Amino acid sequence: MSKIRGLPPEVREPGPGVDLGVEDGLLCQLIHSPEFNLFSDSVVFESNFIQVTKPGSWMDVYEGSTTVILGVTSSVPSLPLPNVLLMANVTWPQGQFSTWSSPDCAPVVTLSRILPLKFVELQICDRLQRILRVRTVTEKIYYLRLHEHHPEAVFQFWIRLVKILQKGLSITTKDPRIQFTHCLVPKMSNSSTEIMPESSLLPSAQPSESFMLLTAEQTSGSFSNITGRPQLTADSSTNVAIKIDNLDSSKTPLRVASPVSLKIPMRAALSHSLWEQENPDEHFLQAPVASSLGENFFGP
Amino acid sequence: MYIIIGDTGVGKSCLLLQFTDKRFQPVHDLTIGVEFGARMVNIDGKQIKLQIWDTAGQESFRSITRSYYRGAAGALLVYDITRRETFNHLTSWLEDARQHSSSNMVIMLIGNKSDLESRRDVKREEGEAFAREHGLIFMETSAKTACNVEEAFINTAKEIYRKIQQGLFDVHNEANGIKIGPQQCISTSVGPSASQRSSSEIGSNSGCC
Repeated sequence: MSKIRGLPPEVREPGPGVDLGVEDGLLCQLIHSPEFNLFSDSVVFESNFIQVTKPGSWMDVYEGSTTVILGVTSSVPSLPLPNVLLMANVTWPQGQFSTWSSPDCAPVVTLSRILPLKFVELQICDRLQRILRVRTVTEKIYYLRLHEHHPEAVFQFWIRLVKILQKGLSITTKDPRIQFTHCLVPKMSNSSTEIMPESSLLPSAQPSESFMLLTAEQTSGSFSNITGRPQLTADSSTNVAIKIDNLDSSKTPLRVASPVSLKIPMRAALSHSLWEQENPDEHFLQAPVASSLGENFFGP
Repeated sequence: MYIIIGDTGVGKSCLLLQFTDKRFQPVHDLTIGVEFGARMVNIDGKQIKLQIWDTAGQESFRSITRSYYRGAAGALLVYDITRRETFNHLTSWLEDARQHSSSNMVIMLIGNKSDLESRRDVKREEGEAFAREHGLIFMETSAKTACNVEEAFINTAKEIYRKIQQGLFDVHNEANGIKIGPQQCISTSVGPSASQRSSSEIGSNSGCC
């Protein structure tokens, strides 16, 4: 397994995705490093998770100082959706998930797997516990609980990603004349907390999600110690089966857009067409492009 | 950095597991994408970390595997001595490797499952001839008994090291799959691994097959 020592924070102008810890993180730095030099032109959407056991007890698999980074990226930046899943283990030297200010206490990141997303099934396993279920076609199953240091908005991004991987985007055209309006991490204006128009969000996004994203923008910051490096991303054949269950929206103030069980057989999902359009009218919506992740992650 | 390639079911993941963890798993999940392993070895008195990329052997994953050849300093090209077709496909794998990797990449041809002598379908001489014809190093191994597994990985590292000494590899370019460590060592990776071992643990069981 390959590891890299994290670097001290670099002062730049990080986007909201960087602030939230989902862009330009440790995993991104590792795979873009000369050692790997993988997907170097693609942005990486990543988060820290705790691996837990099967449903029922949700016991941590590893000791407290070990987390798992789950990330998605694209083998080719111009693809409309991510097509690669990355998994890495992180050992934090001084307590859990500490921020670091010098290389001496930097976490050690160990890349463990690179998986084509089309051979992976992502599910929202437990909405309240913020647990993802990652299942490969070989029936290897991981239960991953989003790290508590991530704001709620980050899990909303994962929910959104799961939906996108299942349904595709309403616009996947390569025509540059068409303004692309989707983003995962909304970009804030320079002067205020103004958020992007709702049209910039995915069609399935609900107002509550937008509120969550806005809230996250205002509360993020614990991840800003990771260097910013805006890049491109996306993917084509993200034919992933998704199931969202245990979504008890009545018990959470943050309603999920589609709290329904979406059980799609993996093989069926593999045949999903990325070119289908949910709402062709969206072609004519125009909105400012979002963060580096948003503008490139989901569109050319 | 090493890459392990070859048809599905020839024992690539088992070779890696035997090398990094010194254990054999009779039933192993089909590899999809790439899985990573690493181990420290001692070559010519220098601590070297071998970072190993275990790839999927299935034809449907072939195009994915091709994208990972770049940057490999060494490759283990594996076939199953009990399955003739895995030997027949070597040319195709070799073409892929040569086409998508550095011309200096060291390739070790491995005939795995040497413990299954009674089911042998490819003679050792055939493997030797193929290796000779294509300029490869050749060994027969058994991931099950660990026979020659150490030697296969370490001999490949030695050959890479020899090429480095000859100046054939630019060790200052990490894209070549080689990285010089913080001290004197020549490493194929950075940082320690959960499965790493000291060089003193590396035994010698050459000639067991």
